[in-house]
Amino acid sequence: MIEPGVGTKPATTKYRSQFRIYVDIMRVIQREGNETKPTRILYGANLSHDRLVKYLEELKALGVIQESIDEDKTYSLTQKGIEFLNDFRKVESFAGAFGFKL
Amino acid sequence: MVVHYWFYGYDSLMEFIAAGIAMAIAYEAMKGYALVKQRILLYLNLSFILLGAGLLVAGFSDGVIIFAKFHRAFLFLYTIGYTINFFAQLIAYGILVIVYVQQTRSFGTQSIAMAALPIMLVQRNSITEMILVFLLVYISAQTAINYSVSKGTNTLLVFSAFLCLMFAHVLFLLYTLVPILFPFAQIAQLFGFLLLLAMLFRVNQAI
Repeated sequence: MIEPGVGTKPATTKYRSQFRIYVDIMRVIQREGNETKPTRILYGANLSHDRLVKYLEELKALGVIQESIDEDKTYSLTQKGIEFLNDFRKVESFAGAFGFKL
Repeated sequence: MVVHYWFYGYDSLMEFIAAGIAMAIAYEAMKGYALVKQRILLYLNLSFILLGAGLLVAGFSDGVIIFAKFHRAFLFLYTIGYTINFFAQLIAYGILVIVYVQQTRSFGTQSIAMAALPIMLVQRNSITEMILVFLLVYISAQTAINYSVSKGTNTLLVFSAFLCLMFAHVLFLLYTLVPILFPFAQIAQLFGFLLLLAMLFRVNQAI
């Protein structure tokens, strides 16, 4: 688990953990109807191109998203990815009830 | 110490139910930690495991108090049970306070070690209850702030739960002066845990 900058920067600086970025990417894909182009993910998850490519590769390796190349390259969530997002939503809601942000 | 014979058994039952709910919350926090690996969930897990274990011990020790009139050893067992429950609650609420403080400003996680206090036998008295009330006032205030920010039902349930637990310990505090308050304190404590259970159901049903 990588948590960049935690405890080393002023409290006003908010960093997203690698985990949070994974979730943001997957949520963009889900929001877009579970099939979306990389540019939509790039804007939706607020990432640079290089970082997007890196994270998409990692998510593919984890088996939570899949790439399809027809006319355009698109990404969709796998069943494992959908289940993960559902579980994450529960955990987020549970932690949120105590006022904790994940 | 006053023994409420008419209430005998009910207090243990209430504490067992509350212990079960605390363990269910600890399990949910552990499941969350397994998924997202955020230490905050581990602390929540640890806090509720301690609350559950303490209540479980309290449930058993309250069950033996009725025999205290036959042999003083039972009174000693009751005191041990209360001591364990008191320190379990002290550390559990202490962890929650530290986690909330950490959220608002950078705070070393090693401060959790502060919770390791020297253990000595204590009887239910105004000092021990006042310490728990003090911790619960802070947690209630923090959860009230969380609710005022999010306005969500789950945050309201958690805030109400800690408010009930604080109220319960205020009644336990006053119980040393007004013995009739003991059942009301137990009911308030159970109600607090039932509110946490309601939150747990809501979290697990919402997709």
